[in-house]
Order: sequence, then structure tokens, then C-alpha cells
Amino acid sequence: MSPLVQLEHVTKKYDNLRVDAAAAVDDVSAAVAEGEAVAVMGPSGSGKSTLLNLIAALDRPTGGTVRVADVRVDSLSETGAARFRRRHIGMIFQFFNLLEDMTVADNVLLPAQLGGQSRRRARARATELLDRLQISRYADTYPARLSGGERQRVAIARALVNEPPLLLADEPTGALDTANGEAIGALLLELNAAGQTLILVTHNPDLAQRYAHRVIQIVDGRVADDSPAGLTGARP
Amino acid sequence: MRPAATVRAAWHGLTGRPLQAIIIGLVALASTAASALALGMAVEANAPFDHAFARDRGAQVAITVDTARTTPARLAATTRLPGVTAAAGPFPLTEVSTAITLAGAAGALQQQVVLTGRAAPGGPVDDLALDAGRWATTTGQVVWARTRTSLPVTVGQTITVTSVPGSPRLTVVGVATSVTGTAQAWVAPAEITALHGPGVAEMLYRFASAGTTTAMAADISSIRAALPAGALVGTPQSYLTVKQQAAAQVAPFTPFIVAFGVIALVMSVMIVVNVVSGAVVSGTRRIGVLKSIGFTPSAVVAAYVLQVALPAAVGCAAGAVLGDLLSEPLLSLSASVYGVGVLLMPLWVVVTVPLAMLALTGVAALAPALRAGRMSTVQAIATARAPRAAHGYAAYRLLGGVPAAPRALTIGLAAPFARPARTFLTLAAILFGAIAVTFGVGLGTSVSRAAAELSGSATEPVQISPPAGALTAAQQRAIVAAVNRQPGTLHYTAETDDQLAVPGLADPISVVSYPGPARWTGWTLISGGWYQGARQVDVNTFFLTATGTRVGDTYTLTAGARQETVRIDGEVFDVQGHASDIFMSSAALAALVPGLGADQYDVSLRPGINAQSYANALSARLGPRLDVTTTTGSPVFASVLVLDAVLTVLLIAVAGLGVLNTAVLQIRERAHDLGVFKAIGMTPRQTLAMVVSSAVGIGVIAGLIAIPAGVALHRYLVPVMGHAGGTNVPGTLLSVYSPAELAVLAVAGLLIAAGGALGPAGWVARTRTATALRAE
Ligand SMILES: Nc1ncnc2c1ncn2[C@@H]1O[C@H](COP(=O)(O)OP(=O)(O)OP(=O)(O)O)[C@@H](O)[C@H]1O
Ligand SMILES: [Mg+2]
Repeated sequence: MSPLVQLEHVTKKYDNLRVDAAAAVDDVSAAVAEGEAVAVMGPSGSGKSTLLNLIAALDRPTGGTVRVADVRVDSLSETGAARFRRRHIGMIFQFFNLLEDMTVADNVLLPAQLGGQSRRRARARATELLDRLQISRYADTYPARLSGGERQRVAIARALVNEPPLLLADEPTGALDTANGEAIGALLLELNAAGQTLILVTHNPDLAQRYAHRVIQIVDGRVADDSPAGLTGARP
Repeated sequence: MRPAATVRAAWHGLTGRPLQAIIIGLVALASTAASALALGMAVEANAPFDHAFARDRGAQVAITVDTARTTPARLAATTRLPGVTAAAGPFPLTEVSTAITLAGAAGALQQQVVLTGRAAPGGPVDDLALDAGRWATTTGQVVWARTRTSLPVTVGQTITVTSVPGSPRLTVVGVATSVTGTAQAWVAPAEITALHGPGVAEMLYRFASAGTTTAMAADISSIRAALPAGALVGTPQSYLTVKQQAAAQVAPFTPFIVAFGVIALVMSVMIVVNVVSGAVVSGTRRIGVLKSIGFTPSAVVAAYVLQVALPAAVGCAAGAVLGDLLSEPLLSLSASVYGVGVLLMPLWVVVTVPLAMLALTGVAALAPALRAGRMSTVQAIATARAPRAAHGYAAYRLLGGVPAAPRALTIGLAAPFARPARTFLTLAAILFGAIAVTFGVGLGTSVSRAAAELSGSATEPVQISPPAGALTAAQQRAIVAAVNRQPGTLHYTAETDDQLAVPGLADPISVVSYPGPARWTGWTLISGGWYQGARQVDVNTFFLTATGTRVGDTYTLTAGARQETVRIDGEVFDVQGHASDIFMSSAALAALVPGLGADQYDVSLRPGINAQSYANALSARLGPRLDVTTTTGSPVFASVLVLDAVLTVLLIAVAGLGVLNTAVLQIRERAHDLGVFKAIGMTPRQTLAMVVSSAVGIGVIAGLIAIPAGVALHRYLVPVMGHAGGTNVPGTLLSVYSPAELAVLAVAGLLIAAGGALGPAGWVARTRTATALRAE
């Protein structure tokens, strides 16, 4: 069985016009199997977010191929990319990126509605997720009232509403205090245990060791190291 | 705080947001052009005759003298009479029969032409404006006079004089305009001798006091007294008549020009307020940063006002130039309406309007800029994104609950509620734009119909009349025979005209009578019906106003010893002479004034017949002793139609820019959210739908309000315009909107909205999601 995510010689240069411009992602090849939890680490500016964007079809690589669930993501049209994300990708961000003028429930429902899912099914799924993430009491409030940890839970619920095979998290604990960061980490671990494939970008080596099967180190856009991790979930 | 820093901050604010600067500039441009055009036309429309008359030193009195009955010395003496400030002449005159070919028509027109011998176009009185070609210096040359009703003769063509042995040919060497308007064509004085002129000449005078009828009467009698008895031929002509007619021609159009000007001003203010508040709201962060590095509140205000004022200044200046350019063809049309040479946009309009518009823009910018100045620094920096009003939330919920509606659409439709003030201003801009379109289209139809109905150019395009007096019985027989034989004739009727003095009215009433019914002649009834019997008449609005009567009243007409009491059966739409007119059967007129012969014949043509070709063929049959003339639409209507179209287009452009601005602001503020939308799977098409639907919702509402409002404005203003011209207007000029047209107009608001939003929406839909997510 082919891996869920397959990167082959992926390169991304932001300044296409300059030949000598440094690549944000430079000839990266990697694979992530279904059910895996992979942490991506590296210094600031090393290209981690860029890599995640390429996997999510938020941006196109300059060279190489990106395959997710056997879809050639690098050559999708904007419309194709949007449909792909709806079906295959759930994304969470450091700063949550919730829509401030919609309630928690509406935020969570939105991806399902964009995909044209029936109202009833979408609602049922959203309610279930809110329950599971213990934020159902905030269903009708606006994100501005919630704490950072609560907001990130809403973002996770929104990312999961369409039951995507792949969850991408870009520093999901970066804006949270230690306790909240731990809680979110535990939640992700729990999701992964239930079979959710996860790619997690983080600055925190401790978190990476405890919550991932594998840690990929990126330096200057290149894979510097790719080795197994503890996935203990427990604090050392 | 050094002013240089303020200017630099404004400059960076400008260059950082080029689209915003361009929108401000374009709005200023379009509104300035529309306002300058409207004001310039209104001002010129008020006094073009006076301006041109003063500039060209038009003759206040023109007399014709018999040179055999006076001497050059006696004539010269009249020019030195007290009160005479300037004089010109004597200019020898002769009337000749001619054959004139006209472009686009077969055959030649036989016409009587009075030639004036004049050595040069300039002079102390009646300084002519040479519109084309040059002056006639030797025999064989003629300069044609361009007037409101003159034939379209052009330089280079020839006119054959048929009433002189040898049929000499005159080459048209020039076309000139005389503000005095008494001449048909000018030749070198030697030409009059060559054509054996009868020894009559024209004298032109200007007087120290000539403002009133009384003053004019005194001036005329002083000249009459200074000349030998019998030397004066015909009636001396006073310029006051011409002046009144010129003023009455234009009065109707001032209300509509004012309406358009006001709409243009209101729209631009709203859009400018919108643009500037948008700049402040979306630049909250920037304001905070400026203050944290030491900008005082007043420096912030100044920077923001400058940021608007700079592009607005450029736009206003360009708008003044554009308005001036647009006014040129329009003013030259008006010039031909008044029979004056050249009209120019008054300089003060070209200067004042852009300055006023700029000041207005500055004031509009001030309120939001002051808000920016007062904003707390910490708060400004803390709110990474623009604060959003709470109203939007409820709308999202509400519209989100609409079953089966695509989510992208409901989000778009709810967006306007997030910023009610901006939505209101945008709505108003589209609303005014759509009202302008509705009104402009309706006015266009009304004016075209009025032009057709008043000129009779559609219904009775050809007239046959003798140069003077009534038709003889033989002439009538000849006309009937010729018209019957000429292919293309549809109807014809004799017309007998007369003047009746009416006790209590200063001016005599013109009577128009036809032997039979008058239905096809093209006169439109405002109310009532056409006369049936000998004791029934129809009258125009001037008559009703002057006599204080109403349709259904009886009125006693007197002619010498005879009296007839008639019933007024209907009100006719007729403003031709700007005087009282009465329509009756020939029998009714004969009962009052027996023995009148027909004055002219009116002919209507089969569809597709060229009126001028028909007239030429008919004049070939009838010979030069009968004038065959064609009716053409008055250029005043053409000029109003063009002005109407230009102003409508300018206002649509302003409204579209208003929407564009709102869409751009909305996108800029929500750039980040739009990125999120796309990240969680919104397709480009859904994004486009969302952005466009947020404008379209406003457009639909604007269209729905604008249609009745535009129709109401039309219903209100057209009669006002009519009354300014001294007449009521018939229903045909009011019910001009067909259901299909209204349906099309209803989408006008929608189209303006969609047109303005589509560009920015497409831009968002195409932007890479990663870029949008990074956008602040
Ligand atoms: N849209 C863009 N345009 C131009 N350059 C970009 C863009 N996005 C990222 N870069 C550059 O690409 C490189 C990699 O950026 P990226 O955001 O992927 O780094 P990162 O590893 O996520 O860093 P951090 O840990 O700080 O989030 C950086 O040098 C950055 O400046
Ligand atoms: Mg990053």
C-alpha cells in the first residue's frame, strides 16, 4: 500500500524570477504512512510552514511532486485544490484562524456546508465533535470570548468535521501556555491513537518526542534528519 | 512634528494603497466632470443670447429703407441721433429666386433668398462670426448665414440664381453666424448691383437704452422721425422678440440639468466619505504605529486628509478638463440653437467646480480622519484587524439558517450587515446611480417624443407656402395637382393662419385652421378632444394661461365687428411661437374673418420617403414662386439628448466606482478571513459568489427603490420642465416607461453592483491561499 503522503524532490522558491534565490523548501523527499504521527522541527524560517502549505495544496511547489491519498496535489487547479482540501485535509494553525464573526458551531459547520453536506449530517457530526472536545457549551458563543486553548479545540473540531484522512497542525501549541499546550498535545495523541494521520510542526522538542512516531528535522529547507521518536505521551 | 513627516506618511499611505488612490481620483474626476458640465450648461443656458449679443454687438433695431426715398446724408444723420451708440449700413438688399442642391437629397430646392451686400464681416454693429470658409470679396461669391432654421448649405457648393437673366451661379465661400439674425446670405456689395438690386438697404443700430419694449419703441420712433416719410419699408425689427424666444427655448431644460448636478454632488460626497472611513478603519494598525513613533493626533488627521486630497486634487483637475471637453460639442449645439457663433464654458465654472469638489472631498475626509486622530494608540495597535460591528453576527446566524441556500451566498449576503454605515453609503451611491439611469432613460424618451411632436417632423414634414401673403386659387390648384401627382404623398391639407386681436391680451393670438380634421397633422392633445363643429376650438397652454380659461370653458373671439362664442374642447401641446395659439376649422375661422385664402399646405409622407428629396421634386414641379420647406427637429432637443446621455453615463461610472470601493475595502479587511475560507475548502467560484453576492444584495435593494424613485422624479420634473417653458405636457411624455424597460432598469442597480464587485472578487478568487493567509 502506498503511503498517504509522498513527497519527491519537492522544491519551493518564492522568488521565481531570480535563479540564484534560496529555496524555502529544497529537494525534500519524504513519506508519511497512514496512521502515523510525524513531527516536523527546525529553526525559524527553515521552511516548515511552506512544506505544510505544499502538502495542503495551499501553494504549489516549484519542482517535484506531492502526492496525498494518490492525488497529485502539485498540479491541482485552485478549484481542484479547494475540493481536495475539503475531502482530505484538516488544518490547524498557531493563531487558530477562526472566523470571528461566526459562532463556534458555525465555524465548525462551515467546511461541511461548503462541501454541500446535508444539514442534518453536518450538525450531527459537529455536535459529536464539540462533545468530544468538551466545548459544546460554547457552541453558540463567538470565538472572541474563548481562551486560547478553547479556541484551538474549536479549530481542531473544524479541521475534523469532514473526517479528513490527514490532519496538518502548524505549531498548534505555539500560542498557548504550558498547561494548555499539554492538553492540546494529549488531544492530538488521542486522535492519532484512534487512527488519525497527523503531521505536526513544532518548535518544542519535548512535544515532538512524546507525541510523534517520527521526527523530521528541517534546516535551510532540506531534510537534515529523519528518525523515530518515543511517542510515549508521558512527561519524562 | 515636522510637516515633511506628515506629507511622507500620507505619501506612503497613498502609494501603499494605489487602488484606493485611483478610486478617489476617478470619483473626483467623474463627479467634477458631471457637475461642471451641468453647471456650465445651466449657466450658459441662462444667458447665452445675452453673452453672444453683447460680444458680437448685435443690432437692437434693424430697419429696411427705400434708398430712392432718402439720401445717404439723411441715413448717415440717423446714426448720429442721440441715444444711438453704434450703427452699420446701409447694406443693399435684393431678393432672388434660387435653386439649391442639398446633400443627401435628389434634385434642387427652389427658394427665395434675400441677399445682403456687405463688404466685410466685422463692424461696429453685428460683428459676424465666420464659422467656415472666408468672406465674399468679389461677385460670384456668397456667404451663407447659419441660423436655427437655415438650410444645411456648405462651403464649396454653388447656388443658382434663377430669377436673373443668364442664371448666374454663386459659389458658397463661407458660412457665418449673425447674432442679429436678419440675413439669409451675404454677397459683396457689387453683387447686388450686378443682380440689379431694387434699391432697398438695411440699417443696423445699437442704442444706449434698449432693455424694455418702451425704450425700444422710443428708439424706433426717433429713427422713423429722422427719415423722410415713406423711406421706411416694412416693420422695424426689435431684438427683444428674438431674445424672448431664445430664453423660452432653454428655460425647460434648466430643472433637469440642476437635478443631475445635485445627484452628482450627493453621490460623490457619499463615496468619498466611504473611501476615507474605509481607509481609516482598515488602517487602524497603521494609525497606531504612526502614533507610537510620535505622530500627534493632528498630524495623523493631516496625513489622512492629505492622503485623500492628493488624488482628489488630480481627479478634480482632470474632471474640469473633461467637463470642458464634453461641453464643447454641447455648447456648439446650443450655439446653433440661439444662432450665435461660439459659446464657451464660463471660466469661473471651470475654476470653481473642481475647487468646490476638492473642498467637499476634504470635508468628507475630515470626520473619519478626526476619528483616526482620537483613536488610542494602544487600542489601535492591539486590534490587529479592524474592529467589527456586532450587527453582522446576527445576520450571519439568520442567513446561515436559510435552508438550501449555498453557504458561500449566505455569508456574502450577510456581509453588508457587518458595516451598516458603509452599506448605507454604498446603497445610497448605487441608488442614486440607478435613479439617474431611470430618470435619464425616461427623460430621453420624453425629449425625443416632444421633439417629434412639436416639430411635426414625423407627421407633416413638408410645407408649401408662398414667400408672402396667401395662396391664390391658381396656386392652390397647382399645389393640389402637384402633390397628387408626386409619389410618396400620404396626406395633405390646406392651412389657413390668421392673427386675432383679443381684448385684454397684449399680443394677438395666432389662429391655425384646417378645412377638415387635424388629427394626423401631429399636434398632440394634453387634454380634451379635437374640435368638431364650427363653434369648437382647441388652444395651447399659453392661451389658457393668458386668458385664465380652462378646457370646457367658452370664450368669445372678436374680429372687427364680428363675434363668435366658442367652446374650448381641448388643450394642444404647442410651444412653437411661445405665444397663444388657437386651432379651429376653416369654416369657424371664415365665420370670424371671411374671405381668407389658404396660407400653406401641409403634407405627410409615406414611410421611407426622404423629405428633402420629396420637397426638391415638388419644388421642381411648382417653381420658385412657391417655397417648399421641410421640418427638421430643433437642435435644442438634440443637445438635451446628448447632455442627458453624457450625464447618465458619468453618474453610472461614479456609482460603479462606489461599489468597487466597497468591495475592495471589504476584501482588504477580510483578506485574512478569505484565506481561512479558502484553507478550509472554499473554491474560487464559491469565493467569487460570496464577494459578488455581498454587493448584489445591495444592488437588488437599490434597484427596487430606484425604479419608483426614478419614475417619480421623471413624473415630477418633466411637468416642471414643461411649465418652465410655459406649457403643460401631454400624457405621452409622461408615460414613457414600458414594462420591459422597467424590468431592464430594475436590473440596473444589480448590474452596477455586480460590475463594481466583479473585479476585486475575481482577484480574491485567484489569489493563492497561502498568500491570503499571510495577509494582514
Ligand atoms: N509568501 C512568501 N513570500 C516570500 N518568502 C516567503 C513566503 N513565505 C515564506 N517565505 C520565506 O521562506 C522561508 C521559509 O518560511 P516558512 O514560513 O516556511 O518558515 P518556518 O520554518 O515555518 O518558520 P517559523 O518557524 O518561523 O514559522 C523563509 O525564509 C521565509 O522568509
Ligand atoms: Mg512557520
